[in-house]
Amino acid sequence: MPREIITLQVGQCGNQIGMEFWKQLCLEHGISKDGMLEDFATQGGDRKDVFFYQADDQHYIPRAILMDLEPRVINGIQNSEYRNLYNHENIFVSDHGGGAGNNWASGYHQGKGVEEDIMDMIDREADGSDSLEGFVLCHSIAGGTGSGMGSYLLETLNDRYSKKLVQTYSVFPNQMETSDVVVQPYNSLLTLKRLTLNADCVVVLDNTALNRIAVERLHLSNPTFAQTNSLVSTVMSASTTTLRYPGYMNNDLVGLLASLIPTPRCHFLMTGYTPLTVERQANVIRKTTVLDVMRRLLQSKNIMVSSYARTKEASQAKYISILNIIQGEVDPTQVHESLQRIRERKLVNFIEWGPASIQVALSRKSPYVQTAHRVSGLMLASHTSIRHLFSKCLNQYEKLRKKQAFLDNYRKFPMFADNDLSEFDESRDIIESLVDEYKACESPDYIKWGMEDPDHILTGEGNATGTVDPKLAI
Amino acid sequence: MADSATAATAAAPSTPRWNVERPFLTGRFHQEAKGNSRLALDSLSSGGSDRAIGCYEAAVQELVVLDDLLSALVGVEGRYISITRVRGKEDAISFHVDASMDLSLQEMAKRIFPLCQSFILISHFVESRSQFKNGLVNHAFAAALRELLLGYEAKVAQLEHQFRLGRLSIQGLWFYCQPMMGSMQALSVVIQKVSSNNFVGSAVLNLLQSQAKIMAGDNVVRSLLEKMIQQASNAYLSILERWVYEGVIDDPYGEFFIVENKSLKKESLTQDDDAKFWSERYSLKDGIPSFLANIAETILTTGKYLNVMRECGHHVQVPGSDNAKLMSSGSNHHYLECIRAAYDFASGELLNLVREKYDLMGKLRSMKHYLLLDQGDFLVHFMDIARDELSKKLDEISVEKLQSLLDLALRTTAAAADPCHEDLTCCVERSSLLKRLEDMELNRTIPDDSEFEEPLSITGLETFCLSYKVRWPLSIVISRKALMKYQLIFRFLFRCKHVERQLCGAWQVHQGVRALNPGGTAISRSSLLCRSMLKFINSLLHYLTFEVLEPNWHVMHNRLQTAKSIDEVIQHHDYFLEKCLRECLLLLPGLLKKVEKLMLLCVQYAAATQWLISSSIDITQLQEKPDNSLRSEDPKSRKSATQAQASRSMTKNAAVTNSVLKFEKEFNAEIQSLGTILSSHSQAEPYLTHLAQWILGVGKNQ
Repeated sequence: MPREIITLQVGQCGNQIGMEFWKQLCLEHGISKDGMLEDFATQGGDRKDVFFYQADDQHYIPRAILMDLEPRVINGIQNSEYRNLYNHENIFVSDHGGGAGNNWASGYHQGKGVEEDIMDMIDREADGSDSLEGFVLCHSIAGGTGSGMGSYLLETLNDRYSKKLVQTYSVFPNQMETSDVVVQPYNSLLTLKRLTLNADCVVVLDNTALNRIAVERLHLSNPTFAQTNSLVSTVMSASTTTLRYPGYMNNDLVGLLASLIPTPRCHFLMTGYTPLTVERQANVIRKTTVLDVMRRLLQSKNIMVSSYARTKEASQAKYISILNIIQGEVDPTQVHESLQRIRERKLVNFIEWGPASIQVALSRKSPYVQTAHRVSGLMLASHTSIRHLFSKCLNQYEKLRKKQAFLDNYRKFPMFADNDLSEFDESRDIIESLVDEYKACESPDYIKWGMEDPDHILTGEGNATGTVDPKLAI
Repeated sequence: MADSATAATAAAPSTPRWNVERPFLTGRFHQEAKGNSRLALDSLSSGGSDRAIGCYEAAVQELVVLDDLLSALVGVEGRYISITRVRGKEDAISFHVDASMDLSLQEMAKRIFPLCQSFILISHFVESRSQFKNGLVNHAFAAALRELLLGYEAKVAQLEHQFRLGRLSIQGLWFYCQPMMGSMQALSVVIQKVSSNNFVGSAVLNLLQSQAKIMAGDNVVRSLLEKMIQQASNAYLSILERWVYEGVIDDPYGEFFIVENKSLKKESLTQDDDAKFWSERYSLKDGIPSFLANIAETILTTGKYLNVMRECGHHVQVPGSDNAKLMSSGSNHHYLECIRAAYDFASGELLNLVREKYDLMGKLRSMKHYLLLDQGDFLVHFMDIARDELSKKLDEISVEKLQSLLDLALRTTAAAADPCHEDLTCCVERSSLLKRLEDMELNRTIPDDSEFEEPLSITGLETFCLSYKVRWPLSIVISRKALMKYQLIFRFLFRCKHVERQLCGAWQVHQGVRALNPGGTAISRSSLLCRSMLKFINSLLHYLTFEVLEPNWHVMHNRLQTAKSIDEVIQHHDYFLEKCLRECLLLLPGLLKKVEKLMLLCVQYAAATQWLISSSIDITQLQEKPDNSLRSEDPKSRKSATQAQASRSMTKNAAVTNSVLKFEKEFNAEIQSLGTILSSHSQAEPYLTHLAQWILGVGKNQ
C-alpha cells in the first residue's frame, strides 16, 4: 500500500475536526460506521489505502492517532456510532485527564512527558505502512493541547521522521470576538513558530472566516462548532481528493505540495470552497460550469481565511500559486477556455517575479454521496495576504506582552523557567521574518531579496543568516 | 490480381480432351475455306450433289433451297448451301449458294444467312464458354443462351413442319425469321465482343449492360438483353449474397470484385506497425460491375464485418436473408436495399459485439488509465519500487523484474479494481524517445541533416515503456500502430513524471533546511529556481493532460458513443491519437529537443541539489556554531571568531552560489528560447499558444 498518510488528531478541536474528516471519508468511500465496506460500494477506482488499512476481518481502520490531555471529546467519540471504526490502541488520553488548561507551555510539557507512549503509537503505524509519505496533524493553535502538544509533536516528528512530509490543518482562533482564552495570542505565537519551522505545509483554517461564511453564506445566525467543523471536514476531504481518486497529476502528497509551496517557509495555504452547504440545508442549485466554479473560488467570500480587505495593503496582495481541484462531472474541454477567460479579465493578481498560473485538477466525485450540485471546487492557494493574519497575531501578542500579562502561567514550566522568555522573542522574530518574506513576495524583485549584496556574506556579520541577530540583541 | 486470376483458372477443372477434339460435339465441324472460294465451291458441287440446282425449275429450286435453308438455320450444310469458316478469323463464317440458283431465290437466301450465322456463333459461344475456366458468369450466360437457342431450334422445327406440310414458301420463311433476326444479331454482337476480349466475370455483365443501354430503342432486344443480364448475373449475385450475408468469398474462378489476401493473418494486427490487416486483408479489385459500382465499398465492409464476427465465433444470421434473394433487374433497386440492410445489420451487430462482449470502451478506458496516466497513482508506486532497476544500464535491466514490480504496483493501487490491468506488460526499448521519433521521421520523410546524437549511457528511465495486450477482435481498433502511438505518448509522460519526481525530491531537500533561516542565501535562490523548474514541468504536464489528452479523449468518447460502424470507431480513435501525438509535440522534433534540454537541466539540477544544500548547511552551521557556544562570552571575541569561520567557508559558499546562479541563468535562457520557438510556431499550430501560456505564465512580461 504505497504512499500512506497518518493522521494525528491533537486536542479538543483536532479531534473534533478529525472526527468529521473521517466521517466524510467513510461516506465518500462507502465505508460503514464500523468500518465495513457497504454493499453498494462496489465501484472501484478509489484509493482507500492511503488513509485506511484493512484489518484481518476486512474492516477498514483509519490510519489515525487520537490524542488529548482531557478525556471529554475522545470519550464522546468512543461512545458515538463510530466507536468501532478506530483502532483503540491508537487512542491516547492523558492519565490525569486534567487537560492543558489552555496553556501552551503545559501542553508542550505534558507532550514531552508522554513522548514515549505517543511515539510508540506513531512508530507502530509507520511500521505498518509500506512507504509512508507523511503525517497530517489536525489541531487548533489557540488552546493548550492542540497548540502545545501539537508543537511538541511537530518538533519530534521533524527529528525522527525527517524524510517524511508533515502537513497540518491548523485552526486559527476567531480574532473578531473576545475569546474566553485570554492567552490565545501567546499560544498562537508559540505554535506558529513550530508551524513555520517544523511543518512542510500548513492549511490555514481561520475560525473568523469560517464563522463569517457560516453567517453570511449559509445564513446561520449562530453557527455551532459542529457546523463550522463540517466546513472544515469538507475542505480536508476535498484537499485529499487527488490522493484518494487518482488522476493525471498530484497523486502523491509531495507532488501536490511541491507545486504549491514556493519557498521552504512560505508554506501556509489558504482554501476556498464552493458550493458551500452544511448538512440538511437545501441550497439553491446553481449553474456549475468550470468557469463558474473557478470564478467563485476566487471570490473572497468563499475563502476560509479572513481577508483584511479594502485596506491599501490588501490590494498589493498577490497569489503565488493556485491549485483548483474540481470534482464532479465537468466538460474537460472547458478548462482551457475558463482559464483563458480568467486571464483576460485579470481576475487573479499573480506574483510578478516568476511564472504563475492556476493549476487545475479534475477529479472524480464519490459515487456514494448524493449532492444537489453536480460540480464542486476547492482552491488551495498560496497568497501573500496571509501575512495579515500573522501580523494580527503579532499585534495581539505585543499588546499582551507589553502588559506582561498572564506570563506567570508560563513561567511554571521548564521552558520558561527562571523568567527566560527568550522563546517568546525568538518566536516573535521568526513570525516577523515570515511576514517580511511574504511581504517581499509582493514585490517584483523578490528573487533578489536579501541577495543583492554578496559582500554582505563576506563580512559574515550581517543577517545573511537571520537567526543570528535576535540572539545578538540579548 | 492477375496472379489470383490465373490461380483460379488453374484450379478450375479442365474439360475432357475428347470434348474439344470432336468437332461434331461442339458444332465446330465446318470446314475452313481452303485456298479461295472457287475451290470450295468446286469441292462442294462435286461432293454435295450430283447436279447443279440451275437444272431445276424455279418452283423446285425454291423447295430445295428451303430445305437447305432450314438446315443452315441450325448450322448444317445443305446440298446447295455450304458453310465455311474463314481461315484465321475465329468468328467469321461464310455462306455460299450454288451460283446457278435462281437469282431471286439467291437473294432471299442471302437475307436469311445472317440469322444462320448468328446461330452458329451463338452455339459456338455456348459450347466454348461452358468450359470451367470461363467462370460462373460465362456459364450462366451460356446457359441462358442455350435456353434461348432451344426456343430458336423449336421454332425452326415448327417451320420445318410447315415445310413438310407444304405450307412454307421462301417468303414465308423470311417472314417468320424476321422477328428473330434482330435479337439474334444483337446477341451475336455481344458474344463476339465477349469472346474476342475473352471477357470473364463482371466484364461480361458490364458489356451486357452497356449493350442493353445502346439498344434501348429496340424494345424487344432490350428486354431480351435484360433477361440475359438477369440470368448471367444470377451466379455473380449468389457470390455476392454469400459475401454480404455470410462474409464468405465463394469464388472459384476469381470473378468477384473483392479479393482476399490470405497471407495476412489477424494475428498480424498485434505485430504489424502499419495495421495492414484491416485495410488489406480484403480489398476491391478492378472490374466492379457497373450496377454495383456505387455500393462496392459498402459491400466490402459488410462482408468484412461478418467475417470478423465469424472469426470471433459469433454466429449471426442477417435477418430476412432467406427471402431477400438478391436480384438485379433493370430499374428495380431491390438488391441495393438488401445490401444496405445487410450492411446496417452487420455493422450494428459487430459494433455491438465489440462494445458489449469485448468491452471496447472498458479497454480504451483502461489504456487511458495506464498509458495516458489518467489514473497515475500506480506509476508513483512503480517508480518508488522500481527506482533502482530503472536507473541501471540497458543491458543490465531485467525486464522480468520490472514486470513483477509493475504487477505489484498495479495490484496495490487503484488499478486493482480494473480487471483489464492484467493485460499491461512492460518493455524496455532500445533507444530514447527522441531517437525513436527521429527514426520514425526518417521513415516518413527525407532524412534531416540534424541527426540527433544518442546520449551514450541511456538507462531504463529513458527507455522504459508500457505495452498492452490487445486481443482479436479489439486489435482491429487498437492495432499495433495505434498502440505504438499510445506508447510514444506514454514515454513522453513518463519522462515528464520522472523529472517532476526528481524535482519534488529537490523540493523536499529544500524543505529540510527550513529551520535555518534561508532568507537571502543561496538556498533561497535555489528554492526559487526549484520552484521555477517545478512550475515548468507541472505546466508541461498540465498542458499535456488537461489541455491535450483529456479534452481530446472527451471528444472522442462522445463520438464513439454515436459511431455507427467499426470503421467509424477506428477513424475516430485514429484521429484522436494523431491529434494527441501532434499536440503533445511528438511530431515536432525541434521543439521536443528544446523541451528535452530543459528537462535534462532540471534533472541535473535536482541531482546537484543535495550537494548544494548540504554545502550551504555546512556554511550556515559553521556560522551558527560559534554563535551558540559563545553565547555568554564577550560579543567582541565571538564576532571575530565568526568572521574567521565565515571567511574560511566563503570559498565554498561562493561556489554554491555560483552554481545555483549558473543553473538559473541557463534555465532562464532555455525557457526564453523555448518561448520564442513556441510563439514562432504558434501561427501554424495554434495549440502551442496554450502551451506557451502555461509555461511562460502571466509573468512573461518580466
